[in-house]
Amino acid sequence: MEQLSNLVISDHELEAIRATLSKLLHDTSASTVMLLDKSGQVISNFGNGVRRNVTSLGALLAGAFSSSRQVAELLGEKDFRTIFQQGMHENIYTTLVEEQWLLVIVFDKLTHIGLVKVLSKKASDELVRVLARVKADTSRRKTSVINVEFRSSVEDTIDLLFRD
Amino acid sequence: MALINIATHEIHCKIVYYGIGYCGKTTNLQYVYKSINPAIRGEMLSIATETERTLFFDFLPLDLGTVHGFRTRFHLYTVPGQILYERTRLAVLNGADGIVFVVDSQAEKFEENVQSIAELEMYMRRLGKDLSHFPFVMQWNKRDLPSALPVHVLDRYLNRRRVPAFEAVASSGIGVFATLRAISKSVIAQL
Repeated sequence: MEQLSNLVISDHELEAIRATLSKLLHDTSASTVMLLDKSGQVISNFGNGVRRNVTSLGALLAGAFSSSRQVAELLGEKDFRTIFQQGMHENIYTTLVEEQWLLVIVFDKLTHIGLVKVLSKKASDELVRVLARVKADTSRRKTSVINVEFRSSVEDTIDLLFRD
Repeated sequence: MALINIATHEIHCKIVYYGIGYCGKTTNLQYVYKSINPAIRGEMLSIATETERTLFFDFLPLDLGTVHGFRTRFHLYTVPGQILYERTRLAVLNGADGIVFVVDSQAEKFEENVQSIAELEMYMRRLGKDLSHFPFVMQWNKRDLPSALPVHVLDRYLNRRRVPAFEAVASSGIGVFATLRAISKSVIAQL
């Protein structure tokens, strides 16, 4: 399967993502809801559970998910589309949105896993629609951002910062 | 896969350091972490075994700050080099925007390097990517060791695509930033 080389998320689509995450957070009483790209980058996050370590958390959760898909393959299983991690106080439910994004819900024992499963499925369906629009729109929007001036400025910054 | 978030004015890119066990991938990241301006780096995360071999990956986020209105971030990852972790390497490669192939220059590691680069080529094909059209640089590491093969030999057999290659002694930092600058620029050029 050809992977996309870029994904460009517009204001409008981010607003749609945030509305979906916010509703999910509210309806499940979760402490945090995040949308990650499968490469580990955090697209959006809501709630107050993990704000400080959000970058590391994104990398680790995406890594764990990617690893579990390799486990599925070794077992001859088509795919594992969700992971549930259970702790003493906090639980994490991660589910795949198409082949591109991961929806992550962090919740405590006051929230029932069944509720999380059902509502995350609904949220995921909405995010699939957003993702389809984002993919369709990416190349058009990219040229408005990534131009010669931008590339040249980033190169200068790389020379300035990436040194001893 | 680079993520360009117009709404939050952020760009994220993922760079993966690939290579055989003990070739110096983690050492590259550790040197960057130690030497770069602390204001632009986040915490380095290592998932290692008790003997400090990489088990899953190392992770180092770098933040260039706002450039031309966009906050630009590079996330550096290493793969575990040991042969038994091949599936984990594929998991970490997922979504990469650029790859640094770190070569252990020692003659006795030559065959292992050849196998590792063949494995990388295979994985990239599985991910639907062609290394010939992908941000990719080589690093000839451990140039200080007595059994290091001459660079022209490494270049002939391991760098068939003639991508940019850098001599390095990662443990003392030689070549580490030159490699990082090259792969970062290559990733930005491909955005």
